[in-house]
Amino acid sequence: MNSIFKSIKFRDAGTLIGLILISVVFASLSPTFLTAPNLLNILQQSSINACIALGMTLVIISGGIDLSVGPVAALTAILGAAMMVAGVPIPVAILGALAAGAACGFVNGALIAWGGLQPFIVTLGGLSLYRALALIYTGGQPIFGLPDGFRALTNGTLASVPTPVIIVAVLAVLAWVILNKTPLGEYFMAIGGNPEAARIAGVPVVLTKLAAYMISGFMAAVAAMILIGRLGAAEPTMGTLWELDAIAASAIGGASLMGGRGSIPGTLIGCIILGTLRNGLTLLNVQAFYQLLATGIIIIVAMLIDKFASGAGGGKQG
Amino acid sequence: MTPRLSLTDVQKSFGVTKVLHGVALTVQPGEVHGLLGENGAGKSTLLNILCGVLSSDTGRIEIDGRAVTISSPRDATDAGIAMIHQELQQVPELTVAQNIFLGHALRKGVFVDRARQEAEAKRLLASLDPGIDVTAPVRTLRVAQRQIVEIAKALRANARIIAMDEPTSSLTPAEFEKLLAVIGRLSAQGVSVIYVSHKMDEVFRVCQTATILRDGRLISQVPIPATPVSQVIELMVGRELAKSAHHSFATDRTVLKVSGLSRGRAVQDAGFELHAGEVLGIAGLVGSGRTELMRLIAGVDSADKGVVEVAGAAIAAGPRARIKAGLGLVPEERKRDGIVRHRPVTSNIGLPAMRRFSRLGLIRKGVLKARSEELMKEVNLRPFDVSRPIGSFSGGNQQKAIIGRWLAAGTAIFLFDEPTRGIDVGAKAEIYDLIERLAKEGKAVLFVSSELPEVIRLADRVLVMREGKISATLGPGEITEANIARNAIPSS
Repeated sequence: MNSIFKSIKFRDAGTLIGLILISVVFASLSPTFLTAPNLLNILQQSSINACIALGMTLVIISGGIDLSVGPVAALTAILGAAMMVAGVPIPVAILGALAAGAACGFVNGALIAWGGLQPFIVTLGGLSLYRALALIYTGGQPIFGLPDGFRALTNGTLASVPTPVIIVAVLAVLAWVILNKTPLGEYFMAIGGNPEAARIAGVPVVLTKLAAYMISGFMAAVAAMILIGRLGAAEPTMGTLWELDAIAASAIGGASLMGGRGSIPGTLIGCIILGTLRNGLTLLNVQAFYQLLATGIIIIVAMLIDKFASGAGGGKQG
Repeated sequence: MTPRLSLTDVQKSFGVTKVLHGVALTVQPGEVHGLLGENGAGKSTLLNILCGVLSSDTGRIEIDGRAVTISSPRDATDAGIAMIHQELQQVPELTVAQNIFLGHALRKGVFVDRARQEAEAKRLLASLDPGIDVTAPVRTLRVAQRQIVEIAKALRANARIIAMDEPTSSLTPAEFEKLLAVIGRLSAQGVSVIYVSHKMDEVFRVCQTATILRDGRLISQVPIPATPVSQVIELMVGRELAKSAHHSFATDRTVLKVSGLSRGRAVQDAGFELHAGEVLGIAGLVGSGRTELMRLIAGVDSADKGVVEVAGAAIAAGPRARIKAGLGLVPEERKRDGIVRHRPVTSNIGLPAMRRFSRLGLIRKGVLKARSEELMKEVNLRPFDVSRPIGSFSGGNQQKAIIGRWLAAGTAIFLFDEPTRGIDVGAKAEIYDLIERLAKEGKAVLFVSSELPEVIRLADRVLVMREGKISATLGPGEITEANIARNAIPSS
């Protein structure tokens, strides 16, 4: 490995090979798997997790974790839906929901960066808190009757590609640019790789952490908008266990939970691997329980390969 | 009389660096034996060999005339050797009794017999400090008491040799008196004590004999207090000075003014001025507050009081404000405080100055790489590949990159904390040249070093620190090892 750039590419190639292997297996077992509508279907089904996972990857790279993304999505979905149902113009409602997501992220980030609390615990608290707010606000009832104009935004297609896929693709490019081309991206990797050295080198640690959690909250809100557009309703219980799928996708894609390392393309491929697995197993009529089993095995196998490969590559992890 | 402990011909190398050249140490039963030497003389290595943390390349260890092999800490314990570390190795949440019996619990069937442990702990502590509550968690104890607990633990293991590494570094004078009494009692019970300290007054009150090491060699074993203090210090530091030509580029223009800077007991009321083109050294013993002072100036730690002024204007707290004012810290603990290991040299260089390398919010990676290569070519980075993760370079080359970081940021005042620690001889000379070149270009340099030849080689002036205070400022012509040592070593 003669450069970090090449080694990340190397790591992404590994994730891609994993995806291809899984696809080959499903393609040989199910004739409908390798058809354009099904592949688009996989992308569409993966788009919500991908949206969450992009934000999660940035948080993980910066040395943190965000367990509150599911409830943040639920809360912003409720707020956005309530505004729309109350007659607030659609763009204003969407912006309001996205701002609410970033605000939730700001609260998480503030407690972590200024309060000095551990990300795991803060966002675990957020997990309950934001869910509770969503449930209390709605009394546990879903909000129905979202305007058609809004639903058309997320249910449409552009050149036969579903809009959510395009939205996520644009966000992924943005996330990649932030991570690889801006000072903020360098700061994410620096504070995740060595927070004390970063602080001494003059990295604005507090602002960087705030940015990571705010982006994560924002992305959760985007995911929420995509989902309620598709369903036509907002449920306070939506988004359960989203954080785990997002963490799994990031990890499969090469993000280190120790911080400092991760890849946007890797995370996207990780999301598609998880989506493909679910899709393929459903096509093969495998029971949901076994799908869960397969997902667990894939995550663990991916981590074992990662450990083995990085060990063989001579890069010490500890 | 058969000595309690006899070490002969102990040699030890780390890679190609030989740190112990056939050292010997003989300690009699019940004797309090001082182990003296400058930083880097080999005291810690010798103690670590004795305690089984390191194994020696050659050497023979005899206890009470019987040859023993010590290849693990366990062997050392079995041989009756215990060590009281400077950083006490205790579990703060456990009680005194639990700590004393840590790993050797007294049992009643499958259960720990707490009552018996506590009774036994009380018995052990009775002769040391009966005031310590054996059921109190260790974290509630004062450092001095925790030390006593550690000694009790050594006695529990039937230690006949107890090595104490700088035992008084965080004790008050009154607590030292108490420790002195405890050591006296240990000695009366026939336990031998190896006492490592920089404080001459203590050594002269506690010890009967002292072994002096210098540069990994046994210099002398002298009786104490029969040998005069001045002679002991001379034996510790008195090496031929290889003072290669020192050039001064100092001007009269003050660029940095520090006044009344204080933080707890570590740094007390430090004040000095640094001029453009000047190389100002800070000498002193480990723990005298040198690193702490550097960190206060760099804004990494916050001061209780005091002002840091650059070009006449007071600078706000925090590393970012200080960097903006033109200060840059090259920290002592490179791995912990300096580098971001997985990131390439370019990213590590650009970190404080990302804005300089950015346009419209995007980093101009090409410009950053070109600038990094230019800087690293000047300092001869090996291997010359700025895209490699910095963690894959040797210590000396990592150091060059960290220095390059501040060159890229346009720093005018360089703060070097032990600039050549853990760096091989070749890279050392390159870093000396670099520091000299900085001065020539009119930059100001403040550096901390434990190596006196390095201080003498580089510094135009030297601040000597002692117990948190600046005890002396040595100007040109006054910078000698003897002058530094006299002001660094507490001898009141």
